[in-house]
Amino acid sequence: MPEHPPAPAGSAPRAGSPLHDASAGSAPSPAPALALRRSIGTATATATSAGLAFAAIDYLGVVSVLTYAAGAAASLAIAVGGVLVLLVSAIFAELNGLYPTAAGIRLYLGRAVGNRTALIVTFTYMTTVVMVIAADAFIIGSAIRYVLGESPALAYLWIAALLGMATTANLLGVRLAGWVQTTVTYSVLAGTGVMSVVAVVHHGRGFPHPVDLFGKGAVSGVQAVAFALFLYAAFEWVTTTSEEARTPPVITRALFVAPVLIWVVASLFALGLAHLVPFARFHGSAYPQLLVGQAALGTVGELWMLALTVLTALNTFNGGFLVASRFLYAAAREGNLPRAFARLNLRAVPWLAVSALSVLSAAVAAVVFATDQWLLLVAVGATIEAGIYAFASVCLVVLRRREARPRPFRLRLGRPLAVVGIGVFGLLFVATGFSDPKDAHRFSVAPMAVIAVLAVLSSVYVLVAVPRLRAAAAARAAAARPRRRPPRSAPAAP
Amino acid sequence: MADWDELGEALADYTISCNGNDRLRKMQRDWSRTLHFVCSDTGSMFSMLVERGEIVGTPEGHVGTPDIVVTTDSETFCDMFWGDLNPVQKYLRGEITVKGSQEDVMRLDAISYVIWPDA
Repeated sequence: MPEHPPAPAGSAPRAGSPLHDASAGSAPSPAPALALRRSIGTATATATSAGLAFAAIDYLGVVSVLTYAAGAAASLAIAVGGVLVLLVSAIFAELNGLYPTAAGIRLYLGRAVGNRTALIVTFTYMTTVVMVIAADAFIIGSAIRYVLGESPALAYLWIAALLGMATTANLLGVRLAGWVQTTVTYSVLAGTGVMSVVAVVHHGRGFPHPVDLFGKGAVSGVQAVAFALFLYAAFEWVTTTSEEARTPPVITRALFVAPVLIWVVASLFALGLAHLVPFARFHGSAYPQLLVGQAALGTVGELWMLALTVLTALNTFNGGFLVASRFLYAAAREGNLPRAFARLNLRAVPWLAVSALSVLSAAVAAVVFATDQWLLLVAVGATIEAGIYAFASVCLVVLRRREARPRPFRLRLGRPLAVVGIGVFGLLFVATGFSDPKDAHRFSVAPMAVIAVLAVLSSVYVLVAVPRLRAAAAARAAAARPRRRPPRSAPAAP
Repeated sequence: MADWDELGEALADYTISCNGNDRLRKMQRDWSRTLHFVCSDTGSMFSMLVERGEIVGTPEGHVGTPDIVVTTDSETFCDMFWGDLNPVQKYLRGEITVKGSQEDVMRLDAISYVIWPDA
């Protein structure tokens, strides 16, 4: 039997925690509300949400928006995207209230559309993490190379070095303290915002056609809004921290406040970029933020923006590796990936999951480096994100019907709004999926082709490999040892 | 539903398995936490005190301020502590709910994985 030491002073009184046998007829009592020793509040949760969304690739995301909505109209597209994202905030707030767990969208989807579809969608979704890590490594490596005046060929050395450092830190179990993450996020947002304001008030090209959203083609405004969604992408991952939130409203507040912060900063940056840098110059650049800094404040501005770019890496590499490697670990433990992905090193880190992510990210970064197709990554990411938001809307519609439980947050007119969400995000999914990220006047199947390949690979894996893995796991478990729990003794005859 | 005797027996076995596993002790050497458990069906509560990876107590009732709170039914707790079920599968189905940091939740699962890799 386990030991039962007396409760220390200040602990919960034993009389208040009756350990009773319900078979004796007592009614179950609800679990009491408990405060955790370490929990996160609204400021930290908001920083987590904004930090997950605002990566270095967001600077290129703004370039993509400007490709479809010229000049000041880009900020209108970002605002419209922000309004749509607030609908996403409300949908995730309700779903998170129903299932406040790190399993997040995997669980909502599983309950709404079944386990197989949930797995296919979440495996495809997770590829965005690899793309963001790869893109950020590429952008930061290219920016460092540019500022140091090195040959373009040396950029990949910086990329490899950055990924190597991030992998080593993760394998050693190094984690950024919560306050460091919060400080980094607010510094990056504030720093970008301040530089953008300096750029906006600088003498420049002006802000023509602020409401001409469709100036670059019949559907360019729709595509601009779709790319604007990408600027907010991943803000919803804050729901994976709901188990450590002080109270349920903390996550709800973060889901609504973080997009507003991103809207302000991204809009200012779009205005500053369009105001000071010619389109032809920033459209072909992997580091538009440095061009804004240089144009606004010379070398000081360039170094300022380089420092902010490097800072974003802390959040991306820390958060990205952590979210994706723990997802792979859980998938392996659940029997949906080979067991090797759950193997832990002596620092309790799933080393194969972290290493595989690192190798994949390095490979994707190498392809981007060799082909200069970084805007394609933005298009693929934006398309997947629009698709995920459409799926989240489906979840709300289905779970409104299936789950009558009260939730801490309930979206008013939830069902009709979610139906609208399915339509709007479905349309944006198609709009970005067939966009040419380099030319607003042309269409391209490239983004949708990449997603189709990812979805087919994911589907084949889930439909063919996963059942085999599960069968093997069940056989292994049955052969390894019998049930350990002793059988319950039969009650004495009356 | 499992009563305290059954839970206690399961906890005792779990404690011996954890504390006797050298690899686990080394892996969790920097992990000192207070865990609270709540049986959703019976209302029973108990705690687990972990010091540098060693389980030093599993008292009845809630002791101290928790780092992690785990809630599920008493049968699931028993099966989990005996190593007869994979807690991740229950967790991902929403049948086990946890309050705590993601890192602590993974560390808690890692215990089961290291001592019963085939569960």
